[in-house]
Amino acid sequence: MTSPIKSYVLRRVLYMIPTLAGIVLITFLLFDVAGGSPAAMVLGKNASAQAMEEFDESKGFNKPVLAGLWTGTRALEDADFSRSAGALSGATGARFMSDHGGGWVRLAPNGACAVPFVFPPRPGTVFSLRFAYRGERPAAWALQNADTPGPLEIPASAEWRTAELIFRTAAAGAPAVLTLRAGAGAFDVRALRLRRRVAHGWDSQLTHYLGQLARLDLGVSTAANRKVTDLLREGIGPSLALTVPIFFGGTLLSIALALVCAYTRNRLPDRLLVLGAVVLMSVNYLVWIIAGQYLLAYKGRWFPIWGFDSWRHLALPVLIGIASGLGANLRFYRTVMLDEMYKDYVRTAFAKGLSPAGVLLKHVLPNALIPILTNTVIAIPFLYTGSLLLESFFGIPGLGGLSVNAINSADVDVVRGVVLVGAVLYMGASLLTDLCYAVVDPRVKLR
Amino acid sequence: MNDVGQSLWTEAWRELRRSRLVRASLWTLAVFAGAALYGEIVYRWYSIRDETPSYQRVNLQERYVPPSFLRHPFTGPSLAGGFRQLAHHPLGTDNLGRDVLQRAIQGARIAFQVGVITSLIAIPIGLILGAVAGYFGGRLDEAVVWLYSTVACLPGLLFILALSMVVGKGLLGVYLGIGLTTWVGLCRLIRAEVLKHRERPYVLAARSLGYGPVRILFRHILPNVFHIVIITFSLRFPAAIGTEVFMSFLGIGVQGEPSWGIMIGNARLRLWQGVWWEMATVTAAILVVVLAFNLAGDALRDALDPRLKARDNT
Repeated sequence: MTSPIKSYVLRRVLYMIPTLAGIVLITFLLFDVAGGSPAAMVLGKNASAQAMEEFDESKGFNKPVLAGLWTGTRALEDADFSRSAGALSGATGARFMSDHGGGWVRLAPNGACAVPFVFPPRPGTVFSLRFAYRGERPAAWALQNADTPGPLEIPASAEWRTAELIFRTAAAGAPAVLTLRAGAGAFDVRALRLRRRVAHGWDSQLTHYLGQLARLDLGVSTAANRKVTDLLREGIGPSLALTVPIFFGGTLLSIALALVCAYTRNRLPDRLLVLGAVVLMSVNYLVWIIAGQYLLAYKGRWFPIWGFDSWRHLALPVLIGIASGLGANLRFYRTVMLDEMYKDYVRTAFAKGLSPAGVLLKHVLPNALIPILTNTVIAIPFLYTGSLLLESFFGIPGLGGLSVNAINSADVDVVRGVVLVGAVLYMGASLLTDLCYAVVDPRVKLR
Repeated sequence: MNDVGQSLWTEAWRELRRSRLVRASLWTLAVFAGAALYGEIVYRWYSIRDETPSYQRVNLQERYVPPSFLRHPFTGPSLAGGFRQLAHHPLGTDNLGRDVLQRAIQGARIAFQVGVITSLIAIPIGLILGAVAGYFGGRLDEAVVWLYSTVACLPGLLFILALSMVVGKGLLGVYLGIGLTTWVGLCRLIRAEVLKHRERPYVLAARSLGYGPVRILFRHILPNVFHIVIITFSLRFPAAIGTEVFMSFLGIGVQGEPSWGIMIGNARLRLWQGVWWEMATVTAAILVVVLAFNLAGDALRDALDPRLKARDNT
């Protein structure tokens, strides 16, 4: 016999699956699709096209995005000769011509021109070369270290036509060279498009990513040249050492101050605390960190400024973390407690002669803890990402600092890994919150 | 006291003006908007003439000039000279001799821009998705709930930074990053409200009159939930400013223009050398603007939230 709680949990867990799919999809769209290959960012602008192609190959960026048989290659970028000769500028035998409709490259009669590969196409692979051409007389392809199943001759055409040459490069040895030989008449070429054939239709970036995730492989960091999972595992310790004290210390202090506010409702201490909370909330987080570092560590010399060698190094960041979060938490907890205090049963308790402190601690606090609890549980995933800024400023080698460095060095795998794990943890905490709420609050109906 | 019923907006406005603190906040925000406008005019002036703006011109002879009121301006022979001294670099200069006050005004301009544009991105998305989900229900509702649950799971600041990493440095990354991640709160609230309003008699009446759903949503329901939009805007604006400060500080947001975040980054190193006025100016500016927004926003929420009204009357 399944209890209602068990079936509720089951339903919520099942509902997490589409959310998980959504998270995977969004991280994929952001980092793989929108970002494109980070090769240029990582290797630098002057990297050779071949180095970038190898980088893409190792990370799986040179596959088709979702599905398909053909994918681009850096051996030849899509060439459009309507504005300039482009890659064929220096080629002998090819001349750029244009009229009001656009431009093209013309081969003189009996002239020849090689396809300008930036680096030799991969050996033993099938490629497709699409080209737009026009010519009074037929022309022909000449292939070296490559063969093609189709005809080498290109029939004449007075109008612009698109044709395709499918070829396979030699398995090993010398690089493939494709030469276009014009026949008795001039031959015009307007566009070139090279595509590489992949192993099978489902070999795409998406399946590559999903496969990696299924193996719990989050990729390799390009900056540190280590597996992302290792980096995450090492970084989580320092992050937790920072955020757990902030979390507990901040919560306890905020609850205590909120109780003071509720006790001295609408009198001076309450008003001062509320105003103070708003001011504290308005101070920018950066200013907390900088002022704290400057005044307490540099001027006051009470704390070390930077580093992660002893617990003293954590004291100042924890203090700053608590102080900066105090304002918002205090306001929220105070609101929750005052909401409780306006309820009828509290009025009854006062009427029965219970002291204000007694009412607060015995009645208001336990009932106010329900929304407070759910609010704090949902904050648990933020413990994981650490505080990006606190860690950067204080040199704490946690996940936050790792993420900031990764973003500055365009280390896509690390950022993607941190975002993914963070999102999954948030989903878990969200489930936990709902469960806590369902267990603790008897008014909640489990739907 | 006037017993005749007045619209929510006029009553709220009257209540807002009652508190001195809120009035001061509103005036502060007006000054902020004015400074932003002035900054924009200065910026356009220089960009039309294609000159280096005065706040960007490097003047190494005037580095580290302290604020004018600390420089004993009135010790000279003439009063007019004293005022001139007071007006010359009133808040000092930074490490390259650039005037701090002018740069702070430009920072206000950028902050204002960020707040407005990110709200223009986030609010329509949240509003439309929430309204559509709440009104039509069914599959559409499930899809919207799935979408915002997913977006809500992503770690906020990190995702915004990642988006800027992908889009490239500069203000566009800031706008898209903040705009595309902060619409979730509004969407949830609007959806809940529209769900409640859908069952109200006036909506039933409109439906039986044969009005289409779009008309009902936009001309009947939307005005009744619009106060949520206003409140959300007053909360999102300072949050967007704060996030932009982080991003510029980390070198990801604005490039080249003196945003408050970049100024903090510059000023931080000077602090250790004893040059405190740049940091103090920017800190004070951010604090005052965000504080004003928070105070005014709180008062606005109290004035516009019908449930709180009911409690105040007990």
